[in-house]
Amino acid sequence: MRGVSRHRPLLALIVLLGFVFLYAPIVSLVVFSFNESRLVTVWGGFSTKWYVELFRDSQILEAAWISLRVAAASASIATVVGTLGAFVLVRFGPFRSRALLSMMITAPLVMPEVIIGLSLLLLFISMEGLIGWPSGRGMMTIIIAHATFGAAYAAVVVQSRLAETDLSLEEAAMDLGARPVRVFFDVTLPGIMPALISSWLLAFTLSLDDLVIASFVSGPGSSTLPMVVFSKVRLGVSPDVNALATIVIALVSLAIIVAALLMNRRRPMR
Amino acid sequence: MAQTVPGRTAPPQTTTPQTVTSAVPRPWEDPAATPFVRVEGVTKRFGSFTAVQDVSLDIYRGELFCLLGGSGCGKSTLLRMLAGFEDVSAGRVIIDGRDQTGVPPYLRDTNMMFQSYALFPHLSVEKNIAYGLRREGLPRAEIATRVTDMLSLVQMQGFAARRPHQLSGGQRQRVALARALVKRPKLLLLDEPLGALDRKLREETQLELIKIQQSLGITFIVVTHDQEEAMTLSTRLGVMTEGRIVQTGTPHEIYEFPRSRFVADFIGSVNLFDGRIAVDGTDSATIACPGAGMDIHISHSVAGTVGQAVTVAIRPEKIEMLASPSGTRPNAVEGRVEEVAYMGNLSVYHVRLDSGMIVRVNMSNRSRYDDDVPRPGASVVLEWDGSAGVVLEG
Ligand SMILES: Nc1ncnc2c1ncn2[C@@H]1O[C@H](COP(=O)(O)OP(=O)(O)O)[C@@H](O)[C@H]1O
Ligand SMILES: [Mg+2]
Repeated sequence: MRGVSRHRPLLALIVLLGFVFLYAPIVSLVVFSFNESRLVTVWGGFSTKWYVELFRDSQILEAAWISLRVAAASASIATVVGTLGAFVLVRFGPFRSRALLSMMITAPLVMPEVIIGLSLLLLFISMEGLIGWPSGRGMMTIIIAHATFGAAYAAVVVQSRLAETDLSLEEAAMDLGARPVRVFFDVTLPGIMPALISSWLLAFTLSLDDLVIASFVSGPGSSTLPMVVFSKVRLGVSPDVNALATIVIALVSLAIIVAALLMNRRRPMR
Repeated sequence: MAQTVPGRTAPPQTTTPQTVTSAVPRPWEDPAATPFVRVEGVTKRFGSFTAVQDVSLDIYRGELFCLLGGSGCGKSTLLRMLAGFEDVSAGRVIIDGRDQTGVPPYLRDTNMMFQSYALFPHLSVEKNIAYGLRREGLPRAEIATRVTDMLSLVQMQGFAARRPHQLSGGQRQRVALARALVKRPKLLLLDEPLGALDRKLREETQLELIKIQQSLGITFIVVTHDQEEAMTLSTRLGVMTEGRIVQTGTPHEIYEFPRSRFVADFIGSVNLFDGRIAVDGTDSATIACPGAGMDIHISHSVAGTVGQAVTVAIRPEKIEMLASPSGTRPNAVEGRVEEVAYMGNLSVYHVRLDSGMIVRVNMSNRSRYDDDVPRPGASVVLEWDGSAGVVLEG
């Protein structure tokens, strides 16, 4: 006890430095997005002109629109597929190869993105050769790619929720005359709804954020926002990218906060 | 409850007389009566584990049948097979003449009240109760009246709009009962319906449950691990252990005529005297009990062979404790009071016989003063009649 209190100032300092290290760049980015000056390192007074400029940049707007559509579509697919996987893992009892399936569903969480991207690219190319679909690379291939790793996250989130739901609720509904499909929509779905929403938000955010996998599987005319930003920055940092980043940070933080609130919201006691 | 009972359609007056004071029908004694629920040689295995083993039961219309047994003996599993949540591994279940094999829960004429109540957390009390009726596709107006009737039957009129988490345990229990009853099932299955209530509330609710059951004329099967509850509630009960039913009978039969050591010991408290048959006449018998240091005289034949190992079970309230022998009873033995447990209405005495065996004796506390009750250390004589003991196979 005494040791801890003696080291308290030191501990506090370390924590402070850690937070500064993590958040100083982000804070400076947000601050400089309101910079009057074109130079990113010199403060020239408050201005929102880079936001105005940003909304005039058709390339960025187009990429943002593609990213949003890709994220929404892939998050939806990921949530459905991940939920199916979670149901198989939680509800189908012990079956052979359950452990293998469980491992394979969660593997994309730890697999290097480069490998996922490359393998999906090879898959799409050979599929196109074999069955002619998906023809070429574009939004569709990005959506599929993002849905695969989004599904892994969704499966994990829904699985934990499903494991703690009370089976007797479903039995009660069935006992009162509800057929299995009815039971699913009346009892199971309301029970796991918070998990579904937070998986969707998580998958949406991950898709919006992805650069590596998208770079592998995208085609001409389907550059996502991170890809456009990355290529712009390589030509030199311009303040409108700061403005964009600020908007993205705001959106992502909002999504993460909502997801966390939904996940942690205590279910009312029975 | 004396006036009309809401939620009840044309009551089956002709088949079941419902006045509590009239002679209670005993259909199980009538060989011509057809059972309402037949459980025929039902076995349930989970992998290599047998949870219910070769259970056969006949339950009659209007009965309140209790399945009584310790935790893990397979009571809930048996009930879940009646509800259709578990398939039977062997045997079959017949309800109202129809074989239930392969019939899913949503097509059975049974309803279940769950041990956890299983109220839908996202629905109000009213919607919870209406859920089963909505699945039947009844008109809105009828659903509304039946739900209202049911709410008043369980005295929850003021709580229709509440969510389950806004209710107390006792209130949730009532809603769960109402939700199961509103469908007017032929058979209601209740899994430890009062298990989560505190003692006082449980005793009140027991009587209420009997009243509701009798007024609606629905057959109830109640699972419980509480023997007092089973004795209070049931028309008949089945005692379960390790997946088997070891005895069925009325509470009186089970208490006074247990057929095994297990049942004698499980229900109430009992003194068990191990011995061997010494004499077995036509209308009397003598059991030599070396452990008690005495011969126990029985006023009927025990239909065994001389030398056979048996156990005499004697309830503590059937033994008389006296300061000196009365000379009027066939069984008398001396001992010394070791301990006295004062319970209010009665006291339980632990008396050590000269052989060292401890015998439990109950004496009701008729006087408010304790001047002449035996105290620890007092020498006493224990006496009982020839009909007091039950002779069980050793
Ligand atoms: N789904 C199941 N899988 C495996 N074993 C089970 C299952 N359900 C119950 N059992 C086992 O069967 C036995 C009886 O359980 P149960 O009927 O719930 O007992 P209780 O008499 O306490 O209600 C217990 O040992 C329990 O572990
Ligand atoms: Mg149980």
